[in-house]
Amino acid sequence: MKIVGEKYARSDGVVKVRGEALYTTDLQFPGMLFGAIFRSPVAAGRILHLDISAAENSPGVHKIITASDAPRHRHGLVVDDEQIFTSSDITYAGEPIAAIAATSLAEALAALKKIRIEIDEITPIVDLHEAIDPKCRLIHQGWKDFGAPEELFRSNNIVGQMVYDDGDVDKILNGSDFVIENEFVAGRQYQAYMEPKGVVASYENGRFTVHVSHQFPFNVRDRLAKALGIKSSAIRVVGHHIGGGFGGKLDLGIEPFACVLAKSTGRPVKLIQSRAEDMATCPVRENAIIHLRTGVNRDGQIIATDMDVIMDAGAAAGDTPYLSSIPLFLAGAPYKSGRTRVRCRVVYTNTPSTGAFRGVSGTYINFAVERQMDEIAKVIGMDRRQLRLKNLLHDGDCFLNGQVLSDASILDEAFALVESRAPWTTTGKGKLRGVGIAAAVWLTNPLPGSATMKLNEDGTLGLITAATENGSGAVAMGLRQIAAQEFGLEPDDVLISMPDTDVAGYDAGSQGSRTTHVVGRAIQEASIELRSKIISVAAEVLEALPGDIEIVDGQVGVAGVPASRIPLSSIAIAAKSMAGPLVATGSYRTPAPEYNHQCATGLLFTTFPTLTYHVHLAEVEVDPATGNTTVLRYIVAQEVGKVVNPDGVRGQIQGGVAQGLGYVLYENLDIGTDGKYRQKTLEAYRLPIAGDIPEVEIMLLEHPDLAGPHGVRGVAEPPIVPVAAAIANAISDAIGAPLNTIPVRPIDVLDGIRWAQEVHPDRQV
Amino acid sequence: MKLSLTVNGRQESLDVEVGTSLLHVLREQLGLTGTKEGCAEGECGACTVLRDGKPIDSCIMAAHACEQSEITTIEVIGDSPDHPSELQNCLVESGGIQCGFCTPGFVMVLTALLKVNAAPTDAEIKHALAGNICRCTGYAQIIEAVIATAKTHQ
Repeated sequence: MKIVGEKYARSDGVVKVRGEALYTTDLQFPGMLFGAIFRSPVAAGRILHLDISAAENSPGVHKIITASDAPRHRHGLVVDDEQIFTSSDITYAGEPIAAIAATSLAEALAALKKIRIEIDEITPIVDLHEAIDPKCRLIHQGWKDFGAPEELFRSNNIVGQMVYDDGDVDKILNGSDFVIENEFVAGRQYQAYMEPKGVVASYENGRFTVHVSHQFPFNVRDRLAKALGIKSSAIRVVGHHIGGGFGGKLDLGIEPFACVLAKSTGRPVKLIQSRAEDMATCPVRENAIIHLRTGVNRDGQIIATDMDVIMDAGAAAGDTPYLSSIPLFLAGAPYKSGRTRVRCRVVYTNTPSTGAFRGVSGTYINFAVERQMDEIAKVIGMDRRQLRLKNLLHDGDCFLNGQVLSDASILDEAFALVESRAPWTTTGKGKLRGVGIAAAVWLTNPLPGSATMKLNEDGTLGLITAATENGSGAVAMGLRQIAAQEFGLEPDDVLISMPDTDVAGYDAGSQGSRTTHVVGRAIQEASIELRSKIISVAAEVLEALPGDIEIVDGQVGVAGVPASRIPLSSIAIAAKSMAGPLVATGSYRTPAPEYNHQCATGLLFTTFPTLTYHVHLAEVEVDPATGNTTVLRYIVAQEVGKVVNPDGVRGQIQGGVAQGLGYVLYENLDIGTDGKYRQKTLEAYRLPIAGDIPEVEIMLLEHPDLAGPHGVRGVAEPPIVPVAAAIANAISDAIGAPLNTIPVRPIDVLDGIRWAQEVHPDRQV
Repeated sequence: MKLSLTVNGRQESLDVEVGTSLLHVLREQLGLTGTKEGCAEGECGACTVLRDGKPIDSCIMAAHACEQSEITTIEVIGDSPDHPSELQNCLVESGGIQCGFCTPGFVMVLTALLKVNAAPTDAEIKHALAGNICRCTGYAQIIEAVIATAKTHQ
């Protein structure tokens, strides 16, 4: 029976379509209180006076907690620059100062308004160039004392920097036929998961139970342990359905507030963020500035590259120190960069902190690299696609870290596939129409996972894992089908537990498309053991040699004797009076590829394992009256290794392109001089709706990865990576003007049209 | 203040504070958590229910404005837990569901659409969905599910 590669409906489809799936926001517990967080109204300053007395006497209030009665350990994912509550320095608007638990949410919110605070306000630092200046006021006075890895090379407001240098880059640049220099700017993008962040925590017998809709329950456990100053085994994190995450629900969020309130009241406390609070305070994709100089020969060969990136960490580092490594990989892929220097600095500002969002910094680094390719082509008078093919990586070429890409020639195949669907020379022609192309190389996150499998007494399979189903289908389709395939069962006969850190082995969460690849492999490891146990019981029951036993379509029998087959249920029942219940476990972590350890300083993210390859093409039409862009066609060629479920793969690509389209055309959190976002509601923050998104034309390549289950590579994260570049290149082509800022707003398009008419008055627009 | 309305065919008589949203009454007072709150500002459509057959954003609908109205929520779409509606089946089959948080709202809007237009075009479906945001799917498989549902009725 072939299950992997086939269309099967997802296991949670019916409960979701009926509204029966419970998310954290739906949970109710006896005696439950409701929490709310009192946050700083300003972005920078010092608390002079805090008065909670009126709020404490407000109806329904059980408890108000401030820094004075909460744990004050410094904590953070990479740098220990966070505290549960601040008691004096304010580093961003929305920084938590107090938390309230009340009988109802309305009472908690009413009490919130009665807290009085006096703040000695100072002008927030929101500009990256200002923040990075060594003479700038420090965002964190005590930054030197924060716990952090030494290799971050922190100084003043710089919380991490990565430097790579081949040497002589300036010399080669100066000697090249052409030097193309551009600056690219990217704004912040909000994940806009449909379920705002929430948590329900309780405290009993010296342990916390924390209910979440989180992509990475074990990270919640470990980060909470550090924030609360307790051992991680004193925390149990229970996962529920997740209303979207896209990277935004990977790090610790508002869980500590619910925990301190639960402990101090002795009641379960539910804390759900409003959309406005979620938008204003949660880590979003960072804004950045990318300065790029490229030296090119007359024949189109790139011989030198100098990339300088400044990323905005906001007021806390979060995971951004890891992201400073991404430019190293993308500066030299998918195109050879020649002699190269890459510097990336991550900088504190008085703004809400930034963090992971699908594709992370890859989205805008790819934008810079691919926009630059179009600008190079224009300057040297070469076809844009030809220039790309000329500089494309091939089998055996390396990333700048020295890691070999053994199968990079897949990129050629992907370019050819796109060409077969939309011939370059005839696509995007016509007044105010344009075509753009962009390619990318991406990784599959290698972090560890595990699976426990048991053969149930009715012949079904139990799968216990802390892998999380964030909606992608990686668990509800991918893992279920991989597990079913191992025993020839129907996917409906695989029952998967919800994540629970007390129950399942460690799992590194739904990030970087890792679940199907890594946990799928762990399932295969567990299946080897479980099959061997089944066979040894079956050999006794069937009075045959273990070597002669086979498992076929959910049955066990002697090979070559179909009449001997008995159902798996009878083996599970027999095992209870023989070796005992049939349970097995498996673990996996992708081995790190070899690389040059001396290649760079500050490299926290050292390799790109389990590679995937991507070519995207966009055809657009621009409205010269409004500056609006319509994406007429969007084509994706993507290397996936092996399709596990075609509907799942398609949903990830269609959905990833939609988020990329929103990123480049509409979405932006503008930071005001007050350090706050100008967009305060979903209405102001324009998300793509059904009418905005074309049906993506998808062409898949399936070159199996040798380590992946059935050859599977990661699928879900990368479809967003080249989208901003492909669409911006198409708009630039349509109007004849460079567009080097994300998002490309209608006003930018109109300005571009005007600029093009001034520069090329003879060009018809 | 008293509020009388019909929810999913049941007459309900409730004591509701003035200014309370219909969504709050449904979720917190009647325990109907299938209807979701995504934004509380009438932007995302996750809270969509039917009032007298027409889709509304329950998060910005004052409960008392629904006095004597007939409210239908996701909980009664389909015949029974084992028998979802044709549209619901098609959404599951097409892969039009990912995280599922927006899904009840889409089901309500599309159920109302199919009632007045049994065979909507692609453009008509997109128009009907202008008030519903799905962050996961990019919409294509949702639209396909509607077209597939319409085909089963032909």
